[in-house]
Amino acid sequence: MANLKDIRTRIQSVGSTMQITNAMKMVSAAKLKKAQDAIEKMRPYAEKLTELLAGLSASLDSDMGGVYADEREIKNVLLIPVTSNRGLCGALNTNIIKQTQRLIENEYADKNVQILTIGKKAYDQLSKKYEVIANKSDLFDSLTYENIAAVAQSVMDDFAEKKYDKVVLIYNSFKNAATQIVKTEQFLPIKTDQNESNVVLDYIYEPSQKEIVLELIPKSLKTQFYKTIRDAWASEHGARMTSMHKATDNAKEMKDELTLQYNKARQAVITGEILEIVSGAEALKG
Amino acid sequence: MKLDIVTPEGALFSGEVDSIVVPGVNGTFEMLNNHAPIVAILTEGEIRIKAPQILIDEEVQDKFKVTTGEAVLPIHSGTVEMKNNKVIVLAE
Repeated sequence: MANLKDIRTRIQSVGSTMQITNAMKMVSAAKLKKAQDAIEKMRPYAEKLTELLAGLSASLDSDMGGVYADEREIKNVLLIPVTSNRGLCGALNTNIIKQTQRLIENEYADKNVQILTIGKKAYDQLSKKYEVIANKSDLFDSLTYENIAAVAQSVMDDFAEKKYDKVVLIYNSFKNAATQIVKTEQFLPIKTDQNESNVVLDYIYEPSQKEIVLELIPKSLKTQFYKTIRDAWASEHGARMTSMHKATDNAKEMKDELTLQYNKARQAVITGEILEIVSGAEALKG
Repeated sequence: MKLDIVTPEGALFSGEVDSIVVPGVNGTFEMLNNHAPIVAILTEGEIRIKAPQILIDEEVQDKFKVTTGEAVLPIHSGTVEMKNNKVIVLAE
């Protein structure tokens, strides 16, 4: 059996690890709340935008998306994997990286694939094997709509200039703190779903209907991009919260086990001592 | 009429107003009660809200310039929709 001092040191170190994981859990819980609030806050905007766009494009002919709906033969594909900057959040980032690799090696094997990473983890892993054209990890430092929209805009410009024929987002979608779902979403060209809308009110349009649609589409794309990043951000904190919770539980279990071991060892020492004294006394009597 | 100003980062204003002036792409215009239904694109400029009483959430108060009976909000771009005496401004 290990000696008493060793066990005591281990109990202490497990205890301090537990404190750290517990603190990280709390921090993530608070940040998760914030991230969810942000998603909740943008909902009215996104819904209204979609409603306006649907109403407008329903009353117009097809071929509405302008440059962003241009479906051409796919030669150049841009993948945008979204991961976190920091680790300790379970399989979250690995899932994204795996999915990206799968896409590169299977679905887009015969295409010219380029990668734009968001998040340090994706960049670290993918830049070893593939060519990463840009890395926007600093986005997570200040998650404002303005910053995110700027990245979306540059991607959209490149698409309009025909640098890419398809842009795909790979990210974790937040379901709940314990479950995140890897989603692969086509960002560009946008799919114009021709659903029938019956609410065609007699609006005054300023400027023309067509111009309004062309103005709204980039906005809706940026909103989608913003939502994606926010979703990934919430997922990260959800995953970290769960994994830190598990780590805290494990540490507690370990600490209990060690304490038991420590007590057993202590008892063995005492028993040994008593035995020595008793047998010493016996010997004197004899 | 009822006015809602929403941005991707949250709602900025919601309440009853007398009139609103918005920077349309073809020039600034004002909307009063019972304005005809309209959808318009906005450019960089200022939104002016006029109402006897303007209540703005404390959190977003620094985005507005408030004087008596009027609040001014600068925007980069946006969209405005009005129907049935309800105005919604999607601002950025």
